[in-house]
Amino acid sequence: MRFALVGNPTVGKSLIFNQLTGLGVEVSNYPGTTVELQRGNTCFEREIVEIVDLPGIYSLEGESDEETLVRQYLDRQETDAVIVVANATRLERNLYLLLQVAEYGLPMVVVLNMVDDAAKQGLEIDPGPLRDLLGVDVILTAASLGKNIDQIIPAALVATRPSEIEIPYDHHIEAAIRSLGKMFGVSRRGSLQALQGFGDDPDLLEAARTIADEIESRHRMTAAQIIAANRHNFAREIADLTVRKEAPPPRTDLDSILTRPIPGIPILFGVLAGMLLFVFVVGSYLEELIVEAFEIFMLQPFVALGLPPLVEAIGTAIILALQAGLGIAFPFVFLFYIIISILEDSGYMTRAAFLADNAMHQIGMHGGAVIPLTLAFGCNVPAIMSVRLLRSRRERIIASFLVTMVPCSARTVIIAGIVATFVGIGAAFSVYGIVLALIIVTGLFLSRVTPGERFGMIMEMVALRRPDPKLVARKAWARLSEFLFIAMPLLLVGSVFLGLLEFFGVMAIFEQIVEPYTMGLLGLPGYTATALIFGILRKEMAFETLAILAGTADLGSVLTSLQLYVFSVVTVLFIPCLATITVLLREVGSRITLAITIYTISLGLLIGGLIYHLLA
Amino acid sequence: MLSSTFEDYLEAVFMITENGERSATLQEIADALDSEVADAEVTTSFLIGEGYLEWVPGDAFRLTAKGKTIASEVARKHRVLQCFLTEVLGIEEEAANREACALEHDISDEIIDRLSSYLDCDGCPPPGRRAGCRWGQDACTLLDCEEGDTVRVAAVRRPRRNRRLLDLGIFPGEIVEIRRKLPNHSVVVRVKGCDIGISPEIATSIVVESCP
Repeated sequence: MRFALVGNPTVGKSLIFNQLTGLGVEVSNYPGTTVELQRGNTCFEREIVEIVDLPGIYSLEGESDEETLVRQYLDRQETDAVIVVANATRLERNLYLLLQVAEYGLPMVVVLNMVDDAAKQGLEIDPGPLRDLLGVDVILTAASLGKNIDQIIPAALVATRPSEIEIPYDHHIEAAIRSLGKMFGVSRRGSLQALQGFGDDPDLLEAARTIADEIESRHRMTAAQIIAANRHNFAREIADLTVRKEAPPPRTDLDSILTRPIPGIPILFGVLAGMLLFVFVVGSYLEELIVEAFEIFMLQPFVALGLPPLVEAIGTAIILALQAGLGIAFPFVFLFYIIISILEDSGYMTRAAFLADNAMHQIGMHGGAVIPLTLAFGCNVPAIMSVRLLRSRRERIIASFLVTMVPCSARTVIIAGIVATFVGIGAAFSVYGIVLALIIVTGLFLSRVTPGERFGMIMEMVALRRPDPKLVARKAWARLSEFLFIAMPLLLVGSVFLGLLEFFGVMAIFEQIVEPYTMGLLGLPGYTATALIFGILRKEMAFETLAILAGTADLGSVLTSLQLYVFSVVTVLFIPCLATITVLLREVGSRITLAITIYTISLGLLIGGLIYHLLA
Repeated sequence: MLSSTFEDYLEAVFMITENGERSATLQEIADALDSEVADAEVTTSFLIGEGYLEWVPGDAFRLTAKGKTIASEVARKHRVLQCFLTEVLGIEEEAANREACALEHDISDEIIDRLSSYLDCDGCPPPGRRAGCRWGQDACTLLDCEEGDTVRVAAVRRPRRNRRLLDLGIFPGEIVEIRRKLPNHSVVVRVKGCDIGISPEIATSIVVESCP
């Protein structure tokens, strides 16, 4: 048996999916978290049930990637029943998609989620009328409390009937449906989609277009607008029958402060700066503890064993890799993901996007770009994935460039571990200043030269809610474990490889060759080039490698402040890491990936060289 | 099909009688068409014979239902053409009136329908009150509204590109409330109980009229 979950963004669909399957799927309170199909299995009465979590969408008749994906999925009829999840607090709008799904004629179950929030807002939900009208089972749930979630699978298993609902359309549309049906033998839904330009039969589309043009010239509204208006009006009638409003308890409207320029924009900057500062300060403290612990309890006892030199070199490399990996993962990555998860789940990100819309227009994107750019402070990989949120290729290209320049948590480690520790906290913030200035300049430039259409922002402001600590921790943990899975093997292999090269003296030869160039251009000794190259594997490895090659963790004793500063700036700007390059290839193609790579390398070397020659 | 002269007569009676509500005298008709009373008498008696006009006591004429249909259609064509000539092509009122009088008889219904939906109005408002015509940049959009206003959506320009608006419930006829308007013109509107943040360039394509 296979069931598919369909619903608007942020209706708690992923949370329900999680509870049904027990998988660690991400749950977010901003549109567009689930970009690919999430599949999970669960066992019910000794039968295996597969559940597919489809991306959150507003309509089955749109042109975005997600809408197309869901439409095609439903077209293939691979699912035994559709579970439509709707937000009970925004029922009327959610019913619009529900009606579209009902028209597909697949067996379905309706889940009205968030009834707990609805009750708090003084909404009384009566599933009766909806059940009668649709002729399918309607379940009231509160996913955040886990209430009634256990009824979903049993209901889906017995759901064999499609909904028999027929939405009354305008008589011109009804006439068009009849004539298209007669001419081409298509279903009601097929005719409706053809009138809006969706389908694969060219003759049908041609005929439907002629009729649609005719309707448009009569009504002064497009066929799509009339169809949508009819559906919306029908949804309103159902919502009026289903929801009874009582006087809502008075509540403070946080939006009155969050979306006004004052104090909204200072709050936005405060939140971003506070987030970075918190990760910086607390992260550095925790990292020190972890590194110390490794030093005292693992490295020193291991060296004291007095093993053969080759074994000792490999063993040391492994311990150093673990030390670097865990020393970064827990203090920086985990902390950052906890904060990002809180921001996402609270719904604040959509407010940030709204406030930043105008600023983002200046650099060629719209407010939605705030989400990938903020995510990028944690890790560029999920940030690049969320670039899909932007509608045009033009915006995606610009966003990809800028996202790869944002200092991720790994680069924060470099800035915190090298600059803040050995040069000073003010210098550390100046690195951020340089990078942000470069991002803005790059954005201004790209927005002028990148070809393509401009789209504006149309974004639902999701309800503000208090993030659930358990969900936040689970989500941050899921992201951290993903990080560990990608990072740790690379770190271990890279570290051992490096240790071996060092052991057999290969590194010394390489360094001798590049030393004149690095000295001349950046004023850095040859071994820093090796560190930079290993930084491509994972950015924080540049730091670790530098420590290994310099032969001491106290970098201040072997390199001058200027050298450390230049090294950090180059590392931060220089080429995205391997994982980022991989997702870039998938999201924007090889040409743009190559352009981004070349641009960041040249930028890193240029800015590093400039700083060296200006300050030396 | 009537000749253009007859159509002009019906249109003139239609205009004089304020959409056929009252009756018109022979003198009024002759004046409106700038012709001799004698000529007017010949033509009107033909139109009475064909059943487009009828006598009313007091030496006056009135449009029959049949006449009114033709007259109002011609008058509408005139209005749409005049609107197009003055508002879009920028031709002087007087000249546009003459041209419209000539064009109104030959133009097909389909062209008028398309022109009318392109202009998004059924002809021009009386001179001096441009605001009534909802065409072009004069139209009131979401950007002209203030925070707290409740307005009805009249039209959405470029509907295909702005499909997401449609799916979120912003379509002609829907009532929306402006929840927030930033100095840089980004707006938040509340529609169907949900707040939607919209960029200025999209807000400007949402034409609105104030709510009763």
